[in-house]
Amino acid sequence: MPKATFVVHLDLSFQGFVVTQRHPSMLTLNEKVLNLIFLESEKGKKDELGYFEIEGMRITYYSSEQYPGWMVCSILSADEDIDLIRSDLAGSGRLILALTTEDSKAFSLEEILQSGSVLKDLTEEQQLAEIFLTPSSALLLERMQTEGVEKAAKLSLWLKGQIQDEVDLREAMTPLMQSGVVMVELLGKTSEMVFLIKDVMGYREPPVDAIINAKEKSPEFAKRYMGYVEEFFSPPPPRKGYNPTLLVDDPNSPIMDDREKISKILAEKLQYRILASLRDMPLSISDISHKTALPQTVVAKVLRTLETEKVAIHFEEDDLWALLTNPRIQSFMPEYILPVINKKLLSKEITPEAARRHLELLMNAWGEVK
Amino acid sequence: MIRGVYVLGEQENMIYSKEYARSDTRANLVEFLVNLTHYLNTVDLEEKTEFMNVAGSRIFYSQREPFTFMFVADKADDVTQIEEKMGQLSDSFMRDYSNLALANQSLAGFDEKVDEIAVTMVKVAILGFAGVGKTTTLHLLRGETLPLIHDPTIGVSIKKLPEEVENANIVLWDLAGQSRFSILWAKMIANAQVVVIVTDSTLENVLRSKKLVSLVKDEVPDAKVIGIANKQDLPTALTPERVGQILGVPTYELVAIDISYRDRLIQIIRRAILEGKAEAKSA
Repeated sequence: MPKATFVVHLDLSFQGFVVTQRHPSMLTLNEKVLNLIFLESEKGKKDELGYFEIEGMRITYYSSEQYPGWMVCSILSADEDIDLIRSDLAGSGRLILALTTEDSKAFSLEEILQSGSVLKDLTEEQQLAEIFLTPSSALLLERMQTEGVEKAAKLSLWLKGQIQDEVDLREAMTPLMQSGVVMVELLGKTSEMVFLIKDVMGYREPPVDAIINAKEKSPEFAKRYMGYVEEFFSPPPPRKGYNPTLLVDDPNSPIMDDREKISKILAEKLQYRILASLRDMPLSISDISHKTALPQTVVAKVLRTLETEKVAIHFEEDDLWALLTNPRIQSFMPEYILPVINKKLLSKEITPEAARRHLELLMNAWGEVK
Repeated sequence: MIRGVYVLGEQENMIYSKEYARSDTRANLVEFLVNLTHYLNTVDLEEKTEFMNVAGSRIFYSQREPFTFMFVADKADDVTQIEEKMGQLSDSFMRDYSNLALANQSLAGFDEKVDEIAVTMVKVAILGFAGVGKTTTLHLLRGETLPLIHDPTIGVSIKKLPEEVENANIVLWDLAGQSRFSILWAKMIANAQVVVIVTDSTLENVLRSKKLVSLVKDEVPDAKVIGIANKQDLPTALTPERVGQILGVPTYELVAIDISYRDRLIQIIRRAILEGKAEAKSA
């Protein structure tokens, strides 16, 4: 464990640097040190752990685009190897920032540090969720669903036309590239091509595993639980319920409206952690707190948010929380682009090399080894 | 400090809002306030002011039929003081503006009233290249003895003016002028109501400082910008008029090491605050 850890907030209105939490409580810091840490964090990459030395202190800092102005910093002891603890420190920084911005009074920094609790980097479904939280990325995905393969320069021009403003294609492309939905490669000397490798679908599924496990424990409870889930997905007519298989152009399709909501829930780190803990079975707040290593007050607060989003449901008399719906974002092979590649090749819109490479990439991603 | 003032109507519609600090989450906040108003309409607050903590802030609310008044303030703020201000604001609104609001008329004059009640702090950023006398200007404003050795500022140094100006506390943000800190300037001047660009009055420095004026106008277009032609006691100094012509902003002479300039400088800042308010009003 580092010698000391502290959370700093830069209040740009008036106060400047405010150390909101510190451990040990006797830790003193001066304005110069805080300024230099902030300078380093501004120079470095966000969402990664930074390290530098100042006034004989070995300091790490973690900041994130998601929480502007916040930093979690640690002072390492002389024998700590930064490379060995880098990922743990980033994970605890991620968790502390998420907790701080949720409710800074609801957790003890010391307890979090001593428990070694961390928030891991984004899971695959969280990375996919990021696509729909960046409007230009979602727009690019739609374009790629039609084009399949496209020159980066052409795509950039198209996006500029859509947004009617200067746009950084790389930035818009980042969530798509990080989640493996598209791949960008230089073919030949100058032609940078964008290939669609995966398509994505966001929807709510019934919490099947949780219901099965609940049935094993208490059939009576499971029956009541299933009643609520059925009410949501397939209520008695004339109500239509939730049917994600309806096409997006169907006015009753829940997909378009709901997709952004689902993405927000999955991308929000604490909400995701708590919802993931409920995928297996209904739990009490203290069980969730134990399973997720999050303070009970934070768990209760997040559950209320999930309840309003029709993700969680509370069984007061049983002191249990369960998933009403299980938000998912999944990728699938975009088979529909195969004729598009063929057509583009025949009309010489793309070179044989580009078509071959696209098929190779699709095979690498989706092919099965026999 | 009060960071935002909101008045909502009977239909939970936003009648008036004003933020004193930029926020990335404004849309979420407004949605939250509308929902909170919806809830408050189901309870009776008996014209009392109550508050709740939300993330790092404290939201104060009070109701006078059919209006809901809200302040977003800091947890550290004095509750009694904020409650007092809430009382002043709701009294003033009910007395002079409620009929206008009910008739969907413009609330002319209410904005100034809000400023008068809610503005308790003004951020003044001091910007300029290295060695032009920013920190000396800060010491002068605070009436402090000048240090004998030049100690370059690291990042930003934040200090309060000992006295209030226009009933508000002045918080001075003295930004480091060394080029390695230049990546912080755009960020650190956010929310400043007044930006003071200090030059050493040499032609070279004043020409370079034009970039700072552009930066300020891009980043904080609502801020009042003033130039300072410092080191007027040196033979190489351009006149304040010439410095002002080059910078394109009102510019004032200064010898920051001369304490007799203190009152004059405070008056300049006072005027800048008032002019800033007047410009905001006319806009």
